[in-house]
Amino acid sequence: MTASTLPRAPHTIEEWVKGYENDGKLRGFRCRSCGLRSATWGLACPRCGSRDLEEAELSDRGSVVAYTILAVPGDEFLNEAPYAYVVVELDGGGRVTGWMPRVRSETELRIGDRVRFTPSYRPGVQFAKEGEGESPR
Amino acid sequence: MRETWVVGAASNRFGKMSETGREAGTRVAAEAIQASGLEPKDIGYTFVSNCFGAAERQGHVGPLVNSGLGIPDVPSCTVESACSSSSAALHEAFVHVAGGFADAALVVGMEKLSHLDTLAATSYFTLGADCAYETKNGATFPGLYATLATAYRSVYRTTPEMFGAIAIKNHANGARNPNAHFQKEISMETYLGSPMIASPLRLYDCCPFSDGAAAVVVAAKEFVKQPVTEPLVIRASARSGSIMDMQDRPDLLGLPATRTAADAAFRQAHLGRRDIDFLEVHDCFTIAEALALEDLGFLPKGAGAGAALEGITARDGRLPVNPSGGLKAKGHPVSATGAAQVVEIFEQMNGRAAGREVPRAETALAHNVGATGGSCSVHIFSRR
Repeated sequence: MTASTLPRAPHTIEEWVKGYENDGKLRGFRCRSCGLRSATWGLACPRCGSRDLEEAELSDRGSVVAYTILAVPGDEFLNEAPYAYVVVELDGGGRVTGWMPRVRSETELRIGDRVRFTPSYRPGVQFAKEGEGESPR
Repeated sequence: MRETWVVGAASNRFGKMSETGREAGTRVAAEAIQASGLEPKDIGYTFVSNCFGAAERQGHVGPLVNSGLGIPDVPSCTVESACSSSSAALHEAFVHVAGGFADAALVVGMEKLSHLDTLAATSYFTLGADCAYETKNGATFPGLYATLATAYRSVYRTTPEMFGAIAIKNHANGARNPNAHFQKEISMETYLGSPMIASPLRLYDCCPFSDGAAAVVVAAKEFVKQPVTEPLVIRASARSGSIMDMQDRPDLLGLPATRTAADAAFRQAHLGRRDIDFLEVHDCFTIAEALALEDLGFLPKGAGAGAALEGITARDGRLPVNPSGGLKAKGHPVSATGAAQVVEIFEQMNGRAAGREVPRAETALAHNVGATGGSCSVHIFSRR
């Protein structure tokens, strides 16, 4: 196999993190074969195995497809609990995982709720409910 | 392929160990070998699992176990597949023996985390998730399964009592298992009153952090000749995988790796679901037992959550599930769990499960999941 045929990841994990931490965007890729959009690092599409991936920025808005309210946090989130951990289906395709610092009880969130990516100084990919003001920077 | 048997199996009491993982693992290995009627020198390969050996500042445990057994020249390696590590090790042992590369092989799983606080233990468990995309966004293990539970509840009608009944059933079984971490029954009131960990999962939906060790000896039928116990014929040893990150899976209403591993196992065994007399499934959380029964093909989609409340999965029900108490009550020493499921099946088939016996059991299935289903093992065993 020659170097030119080796698959290449659309973005590195470092670029993904820098994207949401510093540049305010959700980097991603689109699989030219099956159409999957994703942010997960890889040399091939995790669904169909195609190596024909193109960089494609993901939308900053979407809907919650699954979530939980964590009372007992992960170790980088000690001072944040309770918070919502969410999987979000972004408009135009692609799902990303994130968390919502302002959602603190189960009554505050439902599957299908509209959310917006809200970058801040805190770790991880943060979302807020669509229509709520900017989270503190 | 050679017909391959489980000829010996042993575990210690799960919970809190004062000894190190290495001591406990070596001790149960010696017990399993003794039960098999074989000698340590008969072992041709040792497969060890110890995911969180780093918590004891110890790696490379295989040669330590073998040296402790007096067989230092036997080859060994460590098999890691998160919570499905020792069932993955069993698969490797099966492949070696069935394929003729060893006449007998030893599987040992051990874990010790009780010297750590809850936060540190939680962090070790989370190593099985995607650290860049899941853990970095605040995931914990209960959180990941709670996310699956939320997706499930949005499609299928469930009540808290359905999940409570799964915990209550497994605690009732664990109360009859002298090696279980929790040997006490719980009431619906206790379940419903327990604090939320990650909604909708309460404390009593979650398996505990346990220390523990379990070992299994497998050998070729032609090598054993005169078994001293009732051997388990390994009718199938199947493994599968799926997309690791939930964010890339087409649906969240089950674990795809369980479905594919189960289908492969039933094909290998030439058996159907109706042939299975009882199951040991991976119930790290109550939702996981519900999903397992559906993904393994025993119950239709949406029927898993209510099965315990309806009595289907009780020891005297139509489909007994987790007579050992499961991960929920027997405990979940991560790398010992898969081997411990086989210990339960071995004890059941050898009449050593008094008080929790599944009557007239001839065939059983063990289902062991790595993390949120990136990995899965399904083994099917029957009497000779």
